[in-house]
Amino acid sequence: MAQLTLSGITKSFGTTTVIHGVDLKVEDGEFVVFVGPSGCGKSTLLRIIAGLEEVTSGMIAIDGEDVSRLPASERGLAMVFQSYALYPHMSVYKNMAFALENMGLKTPDIDQRVRRAATMLRLTDYLDRKPKALSGGQRQRVAIGRAIVRDPKIFLFDEPLSNLDAELRVATRKELAGLHAELGGTMIYVTHDQVEAMTLADRIVVLQGGRIEQIGTPLDLYNAPDNLFVAGFIGSPRMNLLPARISGPGTVAVGEDGQVVETGIVAPLKPGATVTLGIRPEHIALAKNGEAGLTMTIDLVERLGGESYLYGSAPGLPQITVRLDGQTSHGRGDSVTIRLPIAHQHVFNEAGKAMGRQ
Amino acid sequence: MATSPSTERRTAAGLLWTPFAALIKLIDLPMRAVQRLIGERRMAYVFLLPNLLFFSLFVFVPLIVNVVFSVTGGAALFPSERPFVGTGQYAYLFDCGSFLDPNSCREDHFWRGVANTARFTLFQVVAMVLFSLVTAVVLNMRIKARGFFRAVYFFPVLLSPVVVALTWKWILQRDGLLNAGITALGGERILFFVDPSWAMFWAVFVSIWAHMGFYTLILLAGLQAIPADLYEAAEMDATPRWRAFWCITLPLLWPNMVVVIVLALIKGVQTFDEVFVLTGGGPGTATLMVVQYIYETAFSNQVQNFGLAAAASVVLGVVLFTLTLAQLAASRRKDA
Ligand SMILES: Nc1ncnc2c1ncn2[C@@H]1O[C@H](COP(=O)(O)OP(=O)(O)OP(=O)(O)O)[C@@H](O)[C@H]1O
Ligand SMILES: [Mg+2]
Repeated sequence: MAQLTLSGITKSFGTTTVIHGVDLKVEDGEFVVFVGPSGCGKSTLLRIIAGLEEVTSGMIAIDGEDVSRLPASERGLAMVFQSYALYPHMSVYKNMAFALENMGLKTPDIDQRVRRAATMLRLTDYLDRKPKALSGGQRQRVAIGRAIVRDPKIFLFDEPLSNLDAELRVATRKELAGLHAELGGTMIYVTHDQVEAMTLADRIVVLQGGRIEQIGTPLDLYNAPDNLFVAGFIGSPRMNLLPARISGPGTVAVGEDGQVVETGIVAPLKPGATVTLGIRPEHIALAKNGEAGLTMTIDLVERLGGESYLYGSAPGLPQITVRLDGQTSHGRGDSVTIRLPIAHQHVFNEAGKAMGRQ
Repeated sequence: MATSPSTERRTAAGLLWTPFAALIKLIDLPMRAVQRLIGERRMAYVFLLPNLLFFSLFVFVPLIVNVVFSVTGGAALFPSERPFVGTGQYAYLFDCGSFLDPNSCREDHFWRGVANTARFTLFQVVAMVLFSLVTAVVLNMRIKARGFFRAVYFFPVLLSPVVVALTWKWILQRDGLLNAGITALGGERILFFVDPSWAMFWAVFVSIWAHMGFYTLILLAGLQAIPADLYEAAEMDATPRWRAFWCITLPLLWPNMVVVIVLALIKGVQTFDEVFVLTGGGPGTATLMVVQYIYETAFSNQVQNFGLAAAASVVLGVVLFTLTLAQLAASRRKDA
């Protein structure tokens, strides 16, 4: 268990810089998830923490001690690889015991630790098998077991679930959450799946293009995204992001036909300024007769029984997604008016920064 | 209308293609008839037949003729003119007081060849595996000009063994390059081909130099097949370098090592040309190999003793066959 501080981390491969000055503090026992699109530098940042990549500049400190120049083997961290990287010629037992042998532990000690981890991960029956003879989920658990037995200062996970099928992924995700509750270690977890991030994290770090876009608890990011990128990235289905123009105090005009929508914000934007109006599908409601709102034509309806999704279009706007509780009688081609509650609206200025509400 | 270059090219290709297509049509006709006759599945054997004929003519038939020669005596060339002697040649070959002492054997040259070949092969295989392993590991590291070094180490494999031997002979002989260097440094000239130990040493050395690239390549391929993330995992596990090599690299490279060991064994037992050109088997019989013995017994002694040479060939063949089986078993285990 340990605390981690990153300050001013940059990383270049040759002339291309892939991490542009990352500052982050991870508290003892915290579960932090790095999330972001493919190629944003999540793995690179994790490997920098692990010591598998050298930093170009900046400092990594574990429990206040600068480890930037220490090799991976001396940082006392454990990593679970996306490919699992199990030693193929060693049994499950030996895979887990290997690092302990490196530490010079006595055989009974090693045995006790391996068996405890195996029990925790339901691997007891497979200890003599080679990785080849295990299922994907079992291999995954061995990889986790290999990290657990060492009792590392920090656990690092690089997309550990991405090789599992959807069902197993959900199950293993829950197990991981349970494991964190049980072990209480500091964990840093990389994924590009925002659902994984939302469900596992104490805090999420959203990365894009080698920069941190926002850091916060899952609900912080959901309720108050700092910028357009985070707004679009967190939440499923995606937040509707509608190009708009300030048309007056507390109103914006959206779409080609300039439908007027009430918003909470105004200052400091002048009428005519370009903004983006964001609203999540689950916050949109259908207007009752006579209520004002935005009119759209339904292109597609998905009925899931407990909930329904309407996909609609209006001139000059991207597709609008609406999530309704329960079942709906609307169908393709219907024209409906939707209400965008002010309390749930997000307004972003031209630079993509979130504007405060009034 | 002018023809564009591409149509011209097409015409040129067409010119080549036409006779080829005609030929195919010509072959196709009888082949179809054959296929109808014997069925599609058996056609495979028809296609295998031509090579099988050549193989029989140049490998299988000589093999049998060799065995026939080994049970006959005399100096005549045609089997029909050779008297049958049964196992006589073998009995002569194996007539030894002690198999460990060539001097106690009636055919001491053969046994000297056996002893030399065994010694040569042993040193050669051990050194070959060590050197090619070290070379492969180094060439697998991220060093500058890696491609260049890989090429350099592989280059001797492309040379004819005779060229290799002649080159080294030129370096090692009495007035050779090495002795020129030694005398220039004020040392005593060394007669490498007069001292039995030196002669054997250089025979092994040259052979390793000539073939190492091939084995290095096999090991390099094996090293590159080991996933890099295993070493990263090992690093995270705080594995000392030597232990990573011992516990990860070696076991995962082992199938390739077995192939290298067995191939080097086979090659060692067969050694002839490069040592023959380099030392001529000398001094005396110090570097006389079994194959050289066979060659000289059959073709270059005053009495051309085909029968005895054939018997020795059969013995050598049995040894090589056993080694080949081991190699097959090893490579099969590698695939599994
Ligand atoms: N060894 C390397 N040499 C050069 N560029 C690299 C190297 N490793 C990574 N990169 C580049 O750095 C950027 C970030 O890579 P990284 O693997 O960290 O992305 P990621 O966020 O983990 O993506 P993914 O979700 O696809 O795994 C990418 O643009 C990649 O091309
Ligand atoms: Mg990655």
